[in-house]
Amino acid sequence: MIWLWIILGGLALLILLFGLGYNRLVRLRNEADTGWSNIDVQLQRRTDLIPNLVETVRGYAAHERGVFEEVTKARTALQQASTPGAAGEANDMLTAALGRLFAVAEAYPDLKASENFLRLQDELTDTEDKISAARRYYNSTVMHYNNGIQSLPWVLVARPLGFQEKEYFSAEGDTALPQVSFTPAT
Amino acid sequence: MTLQQQIRRNRLKSGIVIFGFVLLLGVVAGLIGAALDLRLGIVALVGAGLYAIFAMISSRAMVARMTHAVELDPDQLRPLRRLVENVSIAAGLPTTPEVRIVDDPSPNAFAAGLRPGTSYLGVTTGLLRVMPKRELEAVLGHEISHVRNRDTYLMTMATIFAGVIALIADIGFRMLLYGGGRSRRGGGALVAVLAVVGLLLAPYAALLLRMSLSRRREFLADAGSAELLNDAEAMALALRRLQLDTTTIAYADASVAHLWVESPTSRVETERRGVLALSSLFDTHPPLEARIAALEESGGFRLPEQLPSDEPFAAEVGLA
Repeated sequence: MIWLWIILGGLALLILLFGLGYNRLVRLRNEADTGWSNIDVQLQRRTDLIPNLVETVRGYAAHERGVFEEVTKARTALQQASTPGAAGEANDMLTAALGRLFAVAEAYPDLKASENFLRLQDELTDTEDKISAARRYYNSTVMHYNNGIQSLPWVLVARPLGFQEKEYFSAEGDTALPQVSFTPAT
Repeated sequence: MTLQQQIRRNRLKSGIVIFGFVLLLGVVAGLIGAALDLRLGIVALVGAGLYAIFAMISSRAMVARMTHAVELDPDQLRPLRRLVENVSIAAGLPTTPEVRIVDDPSPNAFAAGLRPGTSYLGVTTGLLRVMPKRELEAVLGHEISHVRNRDTYLMTMATIFAGVIALIADIGFRMLLYGGGRSRRGGGALVAVLAVVGLLLAPYAALLLRMSLSRRREFLADAGSAELLNDAEAMALALRRLQLDTTTIAYADASVAHLWVESPTSRVETERRGVLALSSLFDTHPPLEARIAALEESGGFRLPEQLPSDEPFAAEVGLA
């Protein structure tokens, strides 16, 4: 009889521990999801600012088509990115393209003095700072979550329970400054 | 020790300290109950609870008044607000705390508020005039860490607890001395002596607990800032700059001393030894040197002799 109670008690303890661990994983996953939505908000803001910027620059430098196309292409890639990894890549591409756009703008004093252009440039710089801040938070939540589901005993049951590993947003820390190559207007 | 380990260790220790607090409150109420009257002990506990609730509700406005922190024109503070926004995004806070300015030449900053949603940061004009952007961001990271780790909540509670214990111990002591004679029960002499000693020491024990809580949290917030910004050196540089500065806050109020990034009143420059080491138990902040050393150890770097002579933030963004 006593053995039955011991077994039952052991089972109850196991279920309790399991429940606690499961709740922890759910919390970690939710944190990572929140982290991602923080990035998403800033990415959205960035893509919203770009058409305006392109129009403004086009007003002064209509013939710089190559740069406009590049920026638009990167923007579309960012909008269509479905995973954090792809979004990170597209975002880096966009950063590089914008770097070139701003380098081109250097050659147009009127454009550089334009109130509108300065405001957009300022907004975009701010968005980039915020994206990199949000990335630091997201990546740390992903690290905790991934560590959680990769350690025992969860690694055995994580997949059946629906816990998938999450992708980092840009694998290696903050991206380096974009290589700004000055392309003279021809 | 890595930053993560340090954070975990500090959390555990503050848990122990809070437990000590609750225990102390129970002991004081128990002493009153044993020496005077059981009903008085219960009244003391209930009264302490009510006082604590009142103090919690009014704490936000109280801190603003005691630190002379004022809200400023939104346009004027925009660059600073942006920095705070970025740091709180990195910390994953749901809302960005508002920023208030303390018009004081001494560089310092604090965080206040019970919940992240209603928290605010106070920054002195001196801090903006002394710190370059990188180090200012580190100081903001320190304060945001206080908010994220619920330190502001904990510290407010600890302040209230310490105040409550001091108050009821004081009342109990007076009653025991002047009016308690007739209600003393059998075998009262020993209990009364114990009660007098206990009630005399209780406020100091509470103060001690409050201070040690604050000191742990400072290390934790330094580590938090280094982690948020991925830049342990910036935090260490900022602390060194605070160390070199010799001004103190004009309106330094001892009851809010623990909120600031460095102690706004006294200076704790070196470790004290022997009998003097005892006095360091009452400090609100660990020595800056010890905080810098902890950052150097976890970040694996040495601070340069010469501080970088970057332009201060106020000059960079054109603040007066």
